[in-house]
Amino acid sequence: MRVRVSLLSLLRAALVVLAAALSAVVLPRLGPVGPDLVLLVVVAAALLGGPAKGALLGLGAGWTIDLMPPGAGALGVAALTYAAAGAVAGLWHRDSGRSASLPALATLAAASTVAAVGILRAVTSGWPVSWAAAGASTVMTTAVGLAVIPLLIRAERGLIRRRLA
Amino acid sequence: MVVATVFLLGLDLAQPASTSFLRAGAAAAFGPLERVLTAGRDNDVERLTRERDELARARRQDAATVQQAQEVTSVLALPAAKGARLLVARVVAFTPGSSVTSGSSSGARRVTIDVGSRDGVTKDLTVIAGTGLVGRVIAVAAWTSDVLVVGDRDLIVGVRVGKRGWFGSVSATPPVGATARGPGLLSLTLLQQGAVVVGDTVTTLGSIGGRPFVADIPVGTVVMTDPDRGQLTSTAGVEPVVDTATLDVVAVILTTPRSAPRAPATSAAK
Repeated sequence: MRVRVSLLSLLRAALVVLAAALSAVVLPRLGPVGPDLVLLVVVAAALLGGPAKGALLGLGAGWTIDLMPPGAGALGVAALTYAAAGAVAGLWHRDSGRSASLPALATLAAASTVAAVGILRAVTSGWPVSWAAAGASTVMTTAVGLAVIPLLIRAERGLIRRRLA
Repeated sequence: MVVATVFLLGLDLAQPASTSFLRAGAAAAFGPLERVLTAGRDNDVERLTRERDELARARRQDAATVQQAQEVTSVLALPAAKGARLLVARVVAFTPGSSVTSGSSSGARRVTIDVGSRDGVTKDLTVIAGTGLVGRVIAVAAWTSDVLVVGDRDLIVGVRVGKRGWFGSVSATPPVGATARGPGLLSLTLLQQGAVVVGDTVTTLGSIGGRPFVADIPVGTVVMTDPDRGQLTSTAGVEPVVDTATLDVVAVILTTPRSAPRAPATSAAK
């Protein structure tokens, strides 16, 4: 079987790496908590492709987060978390019709999944649980997603229409 | 023509607004012509504006360079690191606060600095900033290294406290039963019952061979002491001297402070 690398998957990979690097280099200088940029790329792909594709891209994106220095925690935790978040976001995939509220709901669900895993890990490991940070990050991710995900989806649909994907 | 001109003159004097369409039309036709003819002067303005913007940018860049130079000077002048060989580095990346699974919200505080094994960095070296201790190197790549920063849930530093030099340890996790700390405060636990007061300075105790911590580097100041509730040893809250959220210029201590054998002294008793 020949693996065909499409322009769309290359674009998504580049976006994931860029988002992960930005959230390590730029966002921490702006404030203690920030939006989860990587999750937005995953959610956009999941909305277009469904739970399976969302989970697959989430796995790759999580690995990127795990491996991006300085990193923290065990390798693979973010990979599995983002795979679950991608699958959850993929539940909002619709074959037809465009709704403005779908991306927001999908982002909220995916961000809540990531936050829930983080809180669960903190509780089971005996670390202090920062509810405020988890809530703020979820809200900020959803807010940024409201603006960014429709653009991402439009760009990806455009690529698919031109048969570049 | 002359009659028309005189008529227009009268109209313009009597009701200036009624001839505005003529002026507007003429301005639309002749205005661009005038602009083309004075292009030289426009270019001057453009050039000067560009130069002004470039100079302003250069000035901002100079200010940033001066700021960095000051930080480098202060980190090289830290009294505790006197005589040591320092490798100055910049912080390039932080643990993302956004990623709740691994991020700073769950207590992980790490940074990446722009020096690595090619520059002579190895694991378990002390990293300092201009005011005091930053942390220790935990992973080394070819061109970058990862540093575990004070305030990370995994970092525990052996310290001396106050003038008497009580032994203790500083970590980010408060001991069981201690009062809640403010954000960013570290917890000090003495090894024995000691009298810690607010304002005591906390410095590193030092490790064997200076790894992972060189001795006498400032860590923080005691800002609150926990009430005695029957715990075995005294505990207190410590504010770190280094603001880990805005780290920029740091230095890796490459040498141990002492490498020459110490000469024995003769007793002065009579």
